[in-house]
Amino acid sequence: MSAAVSFDDVSKRFVLRHERAYTVLESVIGLVKPTRRSTEEFWALREVSFEIVAGETFGIIGPNGAGKSTVLKLMARILEPTSGEVTVRGRISPLLELGAGFHPELTGRENVYLNAALFGVSQAEAQDRYDQIVEFSELRDFIDAPLKHYSSGMYMRLGFAVAANIIPDVLLVDEFLAVGDEAFQKKCLSKIEEFRREGRTIVFVSHSLRTVEDLCSRALWLDHGRVEAIGPTADVVERYLESVGTGA
Amino acid sequence: MLQTWRELLQYRFLLKQLIILNLKVRYKNSVLGFLWTFLNPLFMMLVFTVLFTIMLPQASVPNFPLFVLVALLPWQFFSNSVMMSTSSVVGNAHLIKKVYFPREVLPLSTVLSNLVNFALALVVLFGMMVVLRGPFTIWILLLPLIIAVQLIFTLGCAFFLSTATVFYRDVPMIMDVLMLAWFFLTPIFYPISILPQSRELLGVVLNVQRLAYILNPMASLIASYRVILYDGSPPAWDFLLRTTVTAIGFLILGYLFFRRFRRSMAEEV
Repeated sequence: MSAAVSFDDVSKRFVLRHERAYTVLESVIGLVKPTRRSTEEFWALREVSFEIVAGETFGIIGPNGAGKSTVLKLMARILEPTSGEVTVRGRISPLLELGAGFHPELTGRENVYLNAALFGVSQAEAQDRYDQIVEFSELRDFIDAPLKHYSSGMYMRLGFAVAANIIPDVLLVDEFLAVGDEAFQKKCLSKIEEFRREGRTIVFVSHSLRTVEDLCSRALWLDHGRVEAIGPTADVVERYLESVGTGA
Repeated sequence: MLQTWRELLQYRFLLKQLIILNLKVRYKNSVLGFLWTFLNPLFMMLVFTVLFTIMLPQASVPNFPLFVLVALLPWQFFSNSVMMSTSSVVGNAHLIKKVYFPREVLPLSTVLSNLVNFALALVVLFGMMVVLRGPFTIWILLLPLIIAVQLIFTLGCAFFLSTATVFYRDVPMIMDVLMLAWFFLTPIFYPISILPQSRELLGVVLNVQRLAYILNPMASLIASYRVILYDGSPPAWDFLLRTTVTAIGFLILGYLFFRRFRRSMAEEV
């Protein structure tokens, strides 16, 4: 079986500059009068290695600040690793924020095309998928109205509809979709279920251990940017609960 | 490099969408909308014509409206591209932080949307050439070549400036002043021949006319437009060739600078 996503000894360092020169003047002053450089290094991930096999549903769990979002951003190629190598095969659908790149002045229709383009879809494919996207979003009556008149729920629905219907090879799902009403959430879940049956790779990040156990065959437990455990979901969740349990 | 090229090809629909978005947003909520592409250069031509044929007639040139229009349109293409490109990366921070796509499309789409605008404004130019009895000669066929050289030069500037703004937010303010100076230093509303051939400055004799030509790629570009569209004669080949080399050099350097920093853009904007 081939790996859809592989992390090979990946580390990610963020440099937090408390006094960053944002203007030319500040830089010039900095040359003459060197202020104490208050830079702080922060390692979000350290020597993380794992592989996600094509076709599996893979969960990532861990407490806040464990590096889960950084892992997703590295997969989505938004961030570059400081060292190590991230490899992703196929098209990845970033669900980091639904509706990223929507423009309020444009209509729903125009935004569907813009958003699809942002995911690297060709014009022909976007046109092919258009009806399916609108159907899924249940927003056909509003599709020619500017997005600024949409409610936030409608906005998110359109966002998920685009992301879920461009048929990615690897689907990233961050946290749970607090999208729309219960009926729409069910629809999202069944879409994810459909992806699973089609044998697409899904990476799922959540605080809800139950959802992870329900959906994922294998899971990764991250803590402080390091891999604590990786393996069958039941085992990983059990060990995670034990560690949390000892503290309580 | 090859990989970037393939990726850009894959994302050409995004490039197209962003160009359309730029054009749409520019005229959104304006009553005359798209007509401004045509009206703006005509009004500018009118202002300069009133200034230099009625208020300052001693500097007058025959057929002044056409004289200034053939220079003004390419200048506006350049100046709008440069000014808009400074914020093309920073202004799309929300996209860069959320979605991966080749960052090159941001400055590219800004410059190309201005190119579309320029191409439309050329319709006005040809219309005015008919009205003002401008010369229609075989040399007009060189127009695409000159536009291509200008496009290369402009892209080089755009790649450089869009990156610089990520690190220094006062680049747009600096460019505001610089572009005004550049406008006056480029022979747009005056013929380059009125510049002195020898002028003593701090004990050094300078050939201002030649310097203005050599140091300013826009001067030789504007002069080339003017020669083929206003004079109806062939351009100065040596200058055009030199400017082409300069333009390609600018594009390479500007792009290398962009490339050097594009990976960290998501963290810096």
